[in-house]
Amino acid sequence: MTILLDVITTAAILFVVAAGLLAIFGVLKIINFAHGAWLTVGGYCAVATAGVGLNPWLALPVAFVVGSALGGITEVLVVRPLYRRPLDAILATWGLGIVIGQLITLWFGRDVQFTPNLLSGTINVFGIDYSFYRLFMILAALVVGLGFAVLLEGTRLGLSARAVIMNETLARGLGIDTAKVRLTTFMIGTGLTALAGVLLTPLTSVDPDMGLAWLIGAFMLVMVAGSSFGALAMACLVFGGAQTLVSTFVSPVLGGITVAVLCALVLRISPKGFARA
Amino acid sequence: MPESRLPNIRVWLLGALVVASLLMIAFGPTFLDRFALNVLSRSMIYAMLAVTVDLLWGYTGVLTFGQAAFFGIGAYATAMVLTHLGNSPELMLLAFALAILVPLVLGIVVGWLSFGYGTTPLYATVISLVLPIVVTQVAFSGGQWTGSSSGLVGYATLPLSLAGYFRLTGICLLAVAAAAWIFVRSDAGKVLVAIRDNEARCAYLGLNASRIKIVLTAVLAGVTGLAGFLFANASGVVAPENTGFVFGTELVIWTALGGRGTILGPVLGTIGIDYLSASLSGQLPFLWKLVVGALFVAMIILLPNGLAGLVGKILPRSKGARRGGGSLRLAQAMQAPQDVVDKPPLLAIHDLGKSYGSLNVLQGINLTVQPGELVSLVGPNGAGKTTLMRCLSDGTESISGSVSVRGANIAGLAPDAIVALGVGRKFQVASVFDSLTVAECLRMARAARHAPSLLHSSDELDLPSAAVEILKLTALDGMLDRPVSALSHGLKQSLELTMVVALEPQLILLDEPTAGLTKTERMTIGTILKKLTGELGLAAILVEHDLDFVREISSRIVVLHQGQLVLDGTVQDVVNSELVKAIYSGGAHD
Repeated sequence: MTILLDVITTAAILFVVAAGLLAIFGVLKIINFAHGAWLTVGGYCAVATAGVGLNPWLALPVAFVVGSALGGITEVLVVRPLYRRPLDAILATWGLGIVIGQLITLWFGRDVQFTPNLLSGTINVFGIDYSFYRLFMILAALVVGLGFAVLLEGTRLGLSARAVIMNETLARGLGIDTAKVRLTTFMIGTGLTALAGVLLTPLTSVDPDMGLAWLIGAFMLVMVAGSSFGALAMACLVFGGAQTLVSTFVSPVLGGITVAVLCALVLRISPKGFARA
Repeated sequence: MPESRLPNIRVWLLGALVVASLLMIAFGPTFLDRFALNVLSRSMIYAMLAVTVDLLWGYTGVLTFGQAAFFGIGAYATAMVLTHLGNSPELMLLAFALAILVPLVLGIVVGWLSFGYGTTPLYATVISLVLPIVVTQVAFSGGQWTGSSSGLVGYATLPLSLAGYFRLTGICLLAVAAAAWIFVRSDAGKVLVAIRDNEARCAYLGLNASRIKIVLTAVLAGVTGLAGFLFANASGVVAPENTGFVFGTELVIWTALGGRGTILGPVLGTIGIDYLSASLSGQLPFLWKLVVGALFVAMIILLPNGLAGLVGKILPRSKGARRGGGSLRLAQAMQAPQDVVDKPPLLAIHDLGKSYGSLNVLQGINLTVQPGELVSLVGPNGAGKTTLMRCLSDGTESISGSVSVRGANIAGLAPDAIVALGVGRKFQVASVFDSLTVAECLRMARAARHAPSLLHSSDELDLPSAAVEILKLTALDGMLDRPVSALSHGLKQSLELTMVVALEPQLILLDEPTAGLTKTERMTIGTILKKLTGELGLAAILVEHDLDFVREISSRIVVLHQGQLVLDGTVQDVVNSELVKAIYSGGAHD
């Protein structure tokens, strides 16, 4: 029973972490290798919010605003010149990640920071005591997933974004301001990533490299998911589940590379991954 | 005269640099302090890695972070032999052999995983990310075998002093850089650039790009392993971070800052940045990393070719003089005699069908083509003409029915294997290599027949007489040393046609070869096609919209409509057909 909860909550955490990367990759076809840095930015937003004595939950909106503002600047200065050079965009965003990491280090120092718990304690589900916060992550994942579903299916921006995903040239020909769609998507993606960084703080320590550990996993899941949130949810469940099982029954070290290795194999067999194009 | 003086500047600079590095290797230890010798030995090992990253990324276009993993494996193999077995000369030799062989074999596996036919360029990068992560985790979980998180330390190394290591790594770096420098200037080296520019064209010139990239990956993994062997000896410690993904990204950063696509750039970039990092990290560690990171971002956006690209723009080019138009000789290759006695038809299509989901693009196509025929394929947009061409030249397309070339069923064959059967394909949009010269493009078309030299760049260009004739007709023969990017649209089309003819195919597939050409250019192409089929006995299938052109040159016309072959006859038959008039006037939709 604990295993089942572990599988579901691990998948939920992975989904929350990877969602921002997927939003950007899906619409812009650009891999934001500074994704880890935005998670870190989110983590430090939690540190800063607590530092000035505000309610820890306030860190969520703060991180979203900070993350999307930084994302807006990044899109205009770094990503926009590189849409035609996707491999170079990976490198430039990676470099940006280094810059952000060093700025944070200069500001806050290298040491591990501690943040107040958002939710503490355990709760009794189906007869076992389980971490309340991990269960809360399921809710967070559902909110993020449903939020994107509503955004994509129900708003004008979502309609434009879907048009850009399917056929960007045609979308531009139809008078959709694709530059604006890209900018908005990038800002939402980075804002969401910073928010995910806040949500990670109770689970990991906050230090300048905290995002790096999540980057590769999120990247591989997005490669498998393509541009679909449904596929991402499925990938998180399957590979997150595999990771939990391997960590529990084989070895935690092997568990750490399960997601990356399995995703690579899936992509070799079926280059489209889980996405039904 | 300036033409012959200018290039000398580059040659002189290069010569001076080689002499300077030799002097540095010989006398450096007499005036450098311990710190500098130590750091520079390490930097020079890293520079060897940067050269391998550059050959893969800068020249071949494969962005890789995986060199760190091969390096780590080479270093761990050495350290493990020396720690657990001992350091007798035989065991040192074993360590040396393992440090090269293990990465080499793994390189074959990784290459095979990364470069299957049809995998995307991004996939190779994905694999190159996973590899160092896996290797690092293995190193972490290796217990006493790998020393886990603290790594291996304290083993006996080669009996060399600090100066000895400095000289050894210097000589190795010089050798690796020189070998790479010679290779990228050779005819074989140009193949890498051709793959980077246009991999599809390579396949349709009969080159197996996947295999070339696998071999390249494996060989460079071996070189990287050698660097690992040197590192394990020179530093005396091997730790998990030597094999990690972050180190892999650092290699790419050094290569990018120095200048991808050059050999000197990454070498100097790596030595410069690594040495400066070591010197400055004491005083301003985070600020220095910040500066390097910011420089890297700016460089990728503004100066994708790095510092070497900037220097290259300032220094005069030597290319023109090295192979002036006059120094390149055209030679006529012997053409294999074509015996046509009792052979199966050149091309036999039987009941060919192709569908995407429930949409049938082609249905029940039957067609036989004999040598000497010039078959025009006409039909309105969306009739399936280009799809048909693709089904004839790529056996990996899933189709129903069968396609045979000279009696051989092409099902499952990749384009390069079909080229070997004697099929050449010209694309609708001129598909050539923009970074190469005209002569280099033509040499690519011959590369599948005569393996290009790994050492020299030849002054001679062997082409079949038909190809030479096209060059003369289109005046391309006077532009052999021109970069392709400087050619007009029409000349690019002619060049691609020449490349296809240079393959000595027996069947040529042409997709709208005259689109966007002037009347004169069109006439030239028409003359060439008539000559190829009429006099040399080749067969050609031509997709064309210009019906006047078709009428003038074809020996036979086939009409496709809504995926079906509705008419197959002589020019007269088709021109007088009511059905064709109805199709082209928009009727006959059922």
